[in-house]
Amino acid sequence: MSTETDSRNPLVKGDTEDTSAVAAGAVGLSAVLFALSLGSLFEVVDLGTPVAGVPLVTVVGGALVALGTAVIVFGVGSRLGYVETEPQSGAGLVAGIAFAIVWFVTAGLVASQTFGLGTVGWLLASVGVGAGVFVLSTATREDIGSTVPAGALTAFAGLVVLTGVIAPEWVWDLGWAQKASFTGAFTIPVITLFVSLLSGWAAAKAYAGFGARGRHTGAYVLVYLNALSIVGVLVILLAYTVVQGVPGLVNGFALGPGVGPESTVVLFGTTISWEWPFYLPFVMNGVGLTNDFNGVLPAIVGTVWLVVGAVLFAVPLGVGAAVFLTEYAERGRFTQVVEVATNGLWSTPSIVFGLFGFAFLIPRFGNGKSLLAGALTLGFMLLPLVVITSREAMLSVPDEYRDASAALGVSKWQTIRSVVLPAALPGVVTGIILGVGRIAGETAPILLTMAGGVFVPGSQTPDVVGGFEFTASPPFVDNPVLLDAASALPYQLYALITAGVGASGNVANPDQFKWATALVLLVVVLSFYAVGIAARYYFRRELNQ
Amino acid sequence: MAQPSNRAERGVERVARVLRGIRDSLEDENRAAVATVGVMTGALLASLVGFLLVSSLTIVPFGIFVASAGYGWLRHQELTAKALAFAMTVSTILILILITTFIFREAIPVIRYESATVLGVSVPGLRLFLQPNWDAVSPPIRFSMVPMIHGTVLVTLIATAVAAPLGIAAALFISEIAPAPVREAVKPGVEILAGIPSIVYGFIGFTILSPWASDQFNILGQGTYLFVGVVVGLMALPTVVSVAEDAIASVPESMKSGSLAMGTTDWQTMTSITLPAAFSGVSAAVLLGVGRAIGETMAATVMLRGVPRLTEPLYNAFYGQETLTSLIARNYGEADGLQLSALFVAGVILFVTVLFLSIGSQYIEARMRSKLGGGQ
Repeated sequence: MSTETDSRNPLVKGDTEDTSAVAAGAVGLSAVLFALSLGSLFEVVDLGTPVAGVPLVTVVGGALVALGTAVIVFGVGSRLGYVETEPQSGAGLVAGIAFAIVWFVTAGLVASQTFGLGTVGWLLASVGVGAGVFVLSTATREDIGSTVPAGALTAFAGLVVLTGVIAPEWVWDLGWAQKASFTGAFTIPVITLFVSLLSGWAAAKAYAGFGARGRHTGAYVLVYLNALSIVGVLVILLAYTVVQGVPGLVNGFALGPGVGPESTVVLFGTTISWEWPFYLPFVMNGVGLTNDFNGVLPAIVGTVWLVVGAVLFAVPLGVGAAVFLTEYAERGRFTQVVEVATNGLWSTPSIVFGLFGFAFLIPRFGNGKSLLAGALTLGFMLLPLVVITSREAMLSVPDEYRDASAALGVSKWQTIRSVVLPAALPGVVTGIILGVGRIAGETAPILLTMAGGVFVPGSQTPDVVGGFEFTASPPFVDNPVLLDAASALPYQLYALITAGVGASGNVANPDQFKWATALVLLVVVLSFYAVGIAARYYFRRELNQ
Repeated sequence: MAQPSNRAERGVERVARVLRGIRDSLEDENRAAVATVGVMTGALLASLVGFLLVSSLTIVPFGIFVASAGYGWLRHQELTAKALAFAMTVSTILILILITTFIFREAIPVIRYESATVLGVSVPGLRLFLQPNWDAVSPPIRFSMVPMIHGTVLVTLIATAVAAPLGIAAALFISEIAPAPVREAVKPGVEILAGIPSIVYGFIGFTILSPWASDQFNILGQGTYLFVGVVVGLMALPTVVSVAEDAIASVPESMKSGSLAMGTTDWQTMTSITLPAAFSGVSAAVLLGVGRAIGETMAATVMLRGVPRLTEPLYNAFYGQETLTSLIARNYGEADGLQLSALFVAGVILFVTVLFLSIGSQYIEARMRSKLGGGQ
């Protein structure tokens, strides 16, 4: 399209490049303002710091005025024909309504707060301005309709900041029974954030010459920004936890032969014992008076047994149910009910599972919170996930496989066992790993069913394998370890948070201890996710070859 | 009058047909296999009953079940496997039924206690919703659900305002806009966002966000619905993204190509073809996200104040009192008797609401599938 215009009208070419540089500059300026306001919101940037002798807040105000003016000038220039664009007849209903709402709110706030008008007064002003903006953006050509409302708002916000109507020390007490107020330190960055987004969008639209292409570009800028900020939030969350958690985690770390604790495993009568070549006390110790460094070993072991118990319960049940649903059952009322039930279970809040475990399992397992009750509760949560993912994996096995096997005269179960299950295995395993990642981090269900202490001594590390014993009375098999309360990482973190400042146990630096616990929990859970996601990639690549 | 009897007749006929079907299929099988499966079924039912009755003898029928299943697996694998798979399928429904019965049963005492009289008729549980006082200690002892419902509604509204637009935009980005390498980076990123345990979100919210918010808005004390809502919205985001992405990806490629062939831009195709076609799937995604937000517990528990009362004024989201989930998580420890029962009422409200949302979204998705299925 553009080459065509260029060849037809070579004289305008240089002009177009200059003017589109204005729009590109406006996009860049809004990006800078956006980043600046985020920085000041999170107290990385101080609005009071002087830049070349002027406080930063004044610079921001000036930049907003410039940005708004540039957007308006571009729109007006396009309308007067100085800029080559392809505008449509109006900015569109969605943009019109959005502009009208924004201006409605702005006018209402100005009328009621700055000019002190009563309800009738500010309502009239709001409705008048809102309707005017709506008409302006929908009834005029797009180059005016989509730039002037955005640019004017940006310039207005810039003036408000520049003239000090809203300064960093400005406070607006909302006057509610429960006290709350907007402060300038919060309001200025938020307003800047919003108007820079609005102007950035309008400028991006203008840059692409309005019309369908303009809308495309404007929307893409917003969608990319959204994806970027989601990833950004994720990275910040992870990085922050790591930075805060590492000092506590590596506290007392030593490397070298013989520094680690000795581990002993009894396997079929033979005893294997070895010494760890490194010492990471935070994950190798409990909490104790005699410990040089304290750690969360009991909670880690508790989490491992929880996961093992939940998997042992849920995976056979879930895979069996998926086999029946995909291979044996015909689609009908029954499969529909099961589908609704599994999806219902999947979305049931975790705390409700906790209540259920509390009411159903605890009276049946010795009337106390126990590892077994916690593991089964998590198993109930894992079950729908296993059913759903296994079913998907089995449905994606091509029917040709089944037909080929049936054609050989093999029975149905043989087909399932030697054709369907192996083919579906990658999907099933991936689903299970991701599901385990989810339940390993769950706190709410084990809060009510398993609950351990705040600082757990190393002696309370559950030893499930060694706990089994046979008894003379029914149920003949007993395992006191399974029926004892145990700790798990998510619960321990919760207990640490709610214990407050007073309870420090024997731990020198409780804050460091909390962050290190959070980090260990994050590492445990996310490693399940990493393995699951990597497995999915691997299997998908294998399939595609 | 003829209709009900007609329906009954049809029902009888259907049962007869099913029975005949079972008998026919059994005749094909070996008698010994049928007997083994019969023993298995009986033993399994007996152990279920024993477990429900809290009998220590449950182990006996369960042992018989394991033994017969083992025998059946070795000798008559075909039928045993089918029977086991069927039993496992039934167990999913059974668990849902058990959850429903047990949390409802525990909730009954307080529903009786909080009866209110309307027009001379005593309606059990009505007072739970008529007055806003929660006081478990000093008389008059009242367990109102109103403050917690108010909190849950506020948090869910804010969370939805965060999760729905951002989630749909991210789903569009992943399935339609992003170039392949970017997609491969963003998609696992969203999944990992879902993987971060809620207590870690809560911890960061509690140590960073809450003090910051108190500072910014001059709030007395810590804990605001506003930021609990934002955090919960962030946690519900991955649900919205993945379900909406599935819906968008299920729009047939031919529809999109047809639009693009008319010379539209990608964005025009998305807004006028893809999104309208995927609309029901996308709204199902939002519903599921709302369900996640309602049920989110730990972040709310850690970040809220834990004082069950309404905020003043009602739309004051700067103060965070208590939600249905955090009420349960905070009070299960010291609660007994009526108070414990009141926690189960909160659980029932959560369970029923989220179950309805889940069924609603499934209905919408099924409709979408049947609508788009014709074109495929």
